[in-house]
Amino acid sequence: MNTTQALLEVRDLTVDYDLGGAAAWRRRTTTVLQGVGFTIAPGETYGLVGESGSGKSTTGRAVLRLADVTGGSIRFDGTDLATFGRETPLSYRRDVQAVFQDPAASLNPRHRVGRAVTDALRRHGVRGQRVREERAAEAFEQVGLQRAHLDRYPAEMSGGQLQRVAIARALVLRPRLVVCDEAVSALDLSTQSQIINLLADLQAQTGVSYLFIAHDLGVVRHISDRIGVLRRGVLVEEGTTHEIFTAPRHPYTRALLAASPASQPAGREERRARRLAVRAAAA
Amino acid sequence: MSAAVTVGRPASASPLRRQAASLAQAWRRLRHQPATVAALVALVLIAVAAAAAPLLAPFAPDETDFTAALSGPTAEHPLGTDDLGRDTLSRVIYSARTALLVAGGSVLVAMLIGVPLGLLLGYKGGWYDRLGSRGLDVADALPGLLVGFVVIAVLGRGMLVLIVAIGLIFCMNFARMTRAVTLTERKKPYVEAARVSGLPHRQVVFRQVLPNLAGPLVVQGAVFLGSAIKVESALSFLGLGLDESQPSWGGMLGLAAEHQADHPFMALPPGIAIVVTVLAFNVLGDGLNDALSGRRPTRRRRAARSAARPQRAGGIPPASAAVAEQHPRAERPVAAAQTVRPEPAALELRDVTVVADRPTGETVPLVADVALTVARGEVLGLLGESGSGKSMLAKAALGLLPAGVRLGSGSVLLHGRDIAGCSDRELREVRGRSLGVVFQNPQANLSPVHTVGRQLAEPLRAHLGMSRVQARERAAELLDLVGVDDPRRRLGQYPYQFSGGMAQRVAIAIALAGEPDVLIADEATSALDVTTQSQVLDLLLDLRERLDMAVVMITHDLGVVAETCDRVAVMYAGQIVETGAVRSLFDRPRHPYTAALLAAHPSADRDVDRLPTIPGRVPLAGEWPPGCHFAGRCPFVRPECTAGPVPLTDHVRCVRAAEIALEVSEVAHA
Repeated sequence: MNTTQALLEVRDLTVDYDLGGAAAWRRRTTTVLQGVGFTIAPGETYGLVGESGSGKSTTGRAVLRLADVTGGSIRFDGTDLATFGRETPLSYRRDVQAVFQDPAASLNPRHRVGRAVTDALRRHGVRGQRVREERAAEAFEQVGLQRAHLDRYPAEMSGGQLQRVAIARALVLRPRLVVCDEAVSALDLSTQSQIINLLADLQAQTGVSYLFIAHDLGVVRHISDRIGVLRRGVLVEEGTTHEIFTAPRHPYTRALLAASPASQPAGREERRARRLAVRAAAA
Repeated sequence: MSAAVTVGRPASASPLRRQAASLAQAWRRLRHQPATVAALVALVLIAVAAAAAPLLAPFAPDETDFTAALSGPTAEHPLGTDDLGRDTLSRVIYSARTALLVAGGSVLVAMLIGVPLGLLLGYKGGWYDRLGSRGLDVADALPGLLVGFVVIAVLGRGMLVLIVAIGLIFCMNFARMTRAVTLTERKKPYVEAARVSGLPHRQVVFRQVLPNLAGPLVVQGAVFLGSAIKVESALSFLGLGLDESQPSWGGMLGLAAEHQADHPFMALPPGIAIVVTVLAFNVLGDGLNDALSGRRPTRRRRAARSAARPQRAGGIPPASAAVAEQHPRAERPVAAAQTVRPEPAALELRDVTVVADRPTGETVPLVADVALTVARGEVLGLLGESGSGKSMLAKAALGLLPAGVRLGSGSVLLHGRDIAGCSDRELREVRGRSLGVVFQNPQANLSPVHTVGRQLAEPLRAHLGMSRVQARERAAELLDLVGVDDPRRRLGQYPYQFSGGMAQRVAIAIALAGEPDVLIADEATSALDVTTQSQVLDLLLDLRERLDMAVVMITHDLGVVAETCDRVAVMYAGQIVETGAVRSLFDRPRHPYTAALLAAHPSADRDVDRLPTIPGRVPLAGEWPPGCHFAGRCPFVRPECTAGPVPLTDHVRCVRAAEIALEVSEVAHA
């Protein structure tokens, strides 16, 4: 809210995707994000919810400079990312890290998982393999893995463990913002709650901010301070977690909340009748 | 090779998969590759020249003119003549015929031998594959020309022998490639789904797997056409190919070699012809490869479009008269969901044990002593995390266990009939008629190379003996039943033209085609958006009510269970730890694991500061403790918990269930 203190400030962000067309005059584009704006304060978790195609991942990719921005601005710590030019400075790469949905796919199956962490350290100028391994081991312990896990291959680990490796890789560089794109969606319930709590603990320890992108409203509710609701590339509603869940203003937010399964069976007949009525009314 | 026992999410689609549907796109990409277009033009010209040789060539290929023997280029013989005075230009043109015939024939022979061999090895797997692949390795190690020599030595010279010889040289490559593609495709859920729908192996191989090969085969074929010409030329050059009388570029080169010193120009025309033709085939192969494996730029646009299109609102369209007729059970009011009805179970699992045979010789249990019943019209939730064995249990019930995993003991009763001991053929019939299944990834469930209408009609024709017209009619009704708009038009579309939710509706329609008594939904809505998920879940509930089907809802999502299930069985590390009516299980869980799961569930309608977690992780198959499987993570553990196997007593597998009932309930509602 307080723009002077914002760590990340996204303003009027617009992203077009190229649909191909060989020549410049035949090129067609589609707008996947339109005028999206939000801020994230240091130590804050900003939840971004929406369904597939809503542009929530694109927002994360734009912040990570993995997607080309068509319009608007993204400022990190006061610096407009557009001033970087084509090359992203190493310092930004260190400050802004990412954890993605599929940990198995984001780790090379042929490398021992410890290498994912030591490689990141080497890239960021930490000298000495011994030092790097030591820091990797510390990072592993920080995320609840053991030193012995450093020498495992991805295939030998569970999904939850692999996601811990991914988090260790992201946090070992002491970033200030981590983009978590569906970071717990692929995990089992008991593992999921462990990882959610781990992320919260690490935030308490290091003051890192999260841009937490997820489709699961329950997960977002539990981790976010503030939430933005994206629909077809437009931020339709923004508010504190409490506001979004107790007094949603936009009809789409209300529809999303109505569609998410409840935590217990009580009242489900009424919920079903209500859903059918809403769909019938919309038809 | 290793017996993989993990049940993962379906692998993402390989770029090969939507080929057939994107041929038009491939063609468009091809047109933007100038080199490929040039190669194609060159090959067409060569083919035309070969076909019209008698019209184009100034002389007959064997017409001799001793007065002009060994002449260089002249007005009469623009490319000169050979030692018998035969016109080189004419011979080059006629040789194109030979080259294309031999190349085409040999590639055809290679495919006819190699493709079935590769399909057999890849699809059968196991010992077939191990022996066969080693055989391929050995065959591959033999130098190709040597194989050619041997075949020609045995069968003598001649066009047909040459074709067979070259075909044999190349068939190993086709077999190898076919095997690789088959291996990857065989494991995909849509092939499994095809098997679930009861298709015989022959059809699975030829209709599901083979179309995926079309792209790679075309590419390889083009490249090998070029290679075949090289081999043919080499053999003819050595005098082992065709007789003197048959003009061939290789033979012409051989002759030119004899006169290398005095008439070096003679080697040029056939040499250039070989180089140009082979090069054109290779460039064409490369171009085709690029065009077929190219990224599909329209995916994003399609997603955007389907998101923009308002989802079909309202649950289920009214069933057409025919649907109601074919389901005499339909419209029967559902009895109160909570009561366990006394009528015979639609599906009953008795003491089912599933084991994996590890390569080391040990046998590892994956599912232990599961007893479970599902009544007609009931929705049973099978709740568990990954590694709980819930999907393996479903596969066991379906007779679809992967290689290396088998039913250790127990029986699967469908309306009282044990199907565990059924033959493959009987099982197919059962799966087609009595058991339907929907898997997680809708796109992977459907074959990418066939229209939705065809995939719907196939089981109808196979199991219900419908005619083509009837099947199409019924397919449209089924699509209508599951809420797909404009079903007749959409029958002609391919799966990629459907959004995720719509594709899952199609998968459900296919599962319903055989009018099954039991529908197994294995994480069927886990990959969908929440609004789509709620629509598909409401659809399943509606179908259950209208068709009085039993539904087994396999899921890790407590919310899905809460919204849809009548009864729940909670699985942990291969065992059922608790079963109960859904409300009492959520209100008063009796097993500590159930309670911990309920507590760890982050829900949109509940606000807690910090999620309670379950320390540690699910023990892997083979590392189960002798006593209670949950003991290592349980806050209520006592020495007696680890003493020995814990039986399921009064629907809960916990030795302390009675004494800790209150505390366990409190954990869930902390």
